[in-house]
Amino acid sequence: MSLPQQLINNRKITTHESKVVTLVLITVALSYLVLFLGIPLFAVFYEALGKGWSLYWAALQDPDAWSAIELTLIAAAIAVPANLVFGVAAAWAIAKFEFRGKSVLITLIDLPFAVSPVVSGLIYVLLFGAQGWFGPWLQEHDLKLIFAVPGIVLVTIFVTFPFIARELIPLMQAQGKDEEEAAVSLGASGWQTFWRVTVPNIKWGLLYGVILCNARAMGEFGAVSVVSGHIRGMTNTIPLHVEILYNEYNFVAAFSVASLLALLALVTLLAKSIVEFKAKSNGDRLPHGETE
Amino acid sequence: MSITIQNLNKQFGNFTALNNINLEVNSGELFALLGPSGCGKTSLLRIIGGLDVQNSGKILFHGKDVEQRDARERNVGFVFQHYALFRHMTVFENVAFGLRVKPKKERHNETEIKRRVHELLQLVQLDWLADRYPAQLSGGQRQRIALARALAVEPQILLLDEPFGALDTKVRKELRRWLRRLHDELHVTSVFVTHDQEEALEVADRIVVMNKGNIEQVGSPDDVYASPASPFVYQFIGNVNLFHSRTHALWTQQQSDAVAYVRPHDIDISLIPQQSSLPVAVKQVRAIGSVVRLEAAIGQDSEIVEIELSRERFNITPVAVGDQVFIRPRQIKLFEA
Repeated sequence: MSLPQQLINNRKITTHESKVVTLVLITVALSYLVLFLGIPLFAVFYEALGKGWSLYWAALQDPDAWSAIELTLIAAAIAVPANLVFGVAAAWAIAKFEFRGKSVLITLIDLPFAVSPVVSGLIYVLLFGAQGWFGPWLQEHDLKLIFAVPGIVLVTIFVTFPFIARELIPLMQAQGKDEEEAAVSLGASGWQTFWRVTVPNIKWGLLYGVILCNARAMGEFGAVSVVSGHIRGMTNTIPLHVEILYNEYNFVAAFSVASLLALLALVTLLAKSIVEFKAKSNGDRLPHGETE
Repeated sequence: MSITIQNLNKQFGNFTALNNINLEVNSGELFALLGPSGCGKTSLLRIIGGLDVQNSGKILFHGKDVEQRDARERNVGFVFQHYALFRHMTVFENVAFGLRVKPKKERHNETEIKRRVHELLQLVQLDWLADRYPAQLSGGQRQRIALARALAVEPQILLLDEPFGALDTKVRKELRRWLRRLHDELHVTSVFVTHDQEEALEVADRIVVMNKGNIEQVGSPDDVYASPASPFVYQFIGNVNLFHSRTHALWTQQQSDAVAYVRPHDIDISLIPQQSSLPVAVKQVRAIGSVVRLEAAIGQDSEIVEIELSRERFNITPVAVGDQVFIRPRQIKLFEA
């Protein structure tokens, strides 16, 4: 079936409600969208650009803003690859092998989703802070995790831990291990099997997970806020910097920096749609039944 | 290459999939593992191929223990029920896979790989599909490609797990004849798993019938069909009527506590009583292709006997629903109850 044909079939009218009902329902749904998603998004850019482009640029060129952007990029640049490697390894193990403690592992992977980000941050303070379990040891060796960049990276990894693994596990489970077994019986090594058979089959799901993981890594507020210490120009990420600016009534600057995150969100959504479209046209399957 | 299986055991938790299996597959033979689902046949095949590991026991290829060799090193071609073709590769690349993953010093050059792949595709008569993707093929085509892919690495043993299980009846019949011809050409030792007795009887040189992790019988299709070694084999292969000694002592020769097994086509009917015949009432008459199948009730009770007659035989003694006839077995096999 060709694509246009599919679109027509999908639009087949299956209900026979009156025009009024249809209109009311659509209006309610659209108003909801505009009210809760459209207006806030518009407000960010409106406030940021309200006093003109020059103030907007000035806010972004502030050294503290730059350092916040830099730190955010560093945190994401470490957290995303780390979780990429872990996520693929965990999903591969869970989906393709049977072992003891598998269900415990699956539950553990979900932990960061279940725990409030603020609590996650606190856990790290309790572990690595000055009064924490490993605090004295760290001080002895002159290592600083909490209220420093390494702490921010650690909590970012923790909070974004499940994204890629969660995306891949159902996908790889659905694909089964027949193809891998076939590859091995044809003489492929584990490494060859992984790169030539497994990776091509999961690449779109993987990309999808990376995009979501990255968005969260850059946007995380709660956990990072706890371990950061809010030192300007040192341990502020973009979201923390926005908060500080806002609390200082520097609204233009706050919204200007916030607009960066909003832009990131828009780019993420666009990338996500492209990946979904590509995956669909390749006949691959993403979890949550997006293509079926 | 012969396969010897010695005292093989496999447990999944508390479930015994294979219970002390001993089996010999001769070199060049087309061998069928036949049994109902859950009888352990697929486990056995996977263990032979190195995809699963036994709890105890040995597998020998040509007299050599293969325990130290994993699936990669056993040089076994495996064909899966659901094809397991690499979905992101073309048909050509699927077949070439086994040649491309060889260690560098054994690997052929590109021209040689091309030549071999096309040779294999011609062997399975699908050369024209080389550039397609698996999703664009029919089930029968996919399975033939899967077979070509398995043959590419010149395996010494070919293992097929319900190779035609996912296909419709007509394609199944074509493919199994084709497999038989292919095997006669290549003579590679092949073991295939099936739950379809007709398939096993038609294709295999020898059959092992399995049930609940045990071997019930090993033999040629003829042996297994004509002289089943156990009640299970009798019932699993072909239809059968059971007559218990308590109610039908006449047929079980007064042996106490025995059950007589009679195939529907081993029953004769006549309109007049004969020596040791049973009166029955015809309940149903169905003509199916070249045979006519009758269902008849014994006496007053609801015990039903199935009778199968050739059309010619039926025309000599045409009966209709409600008629009283007398049945007599031509052949009986007794097992203790």
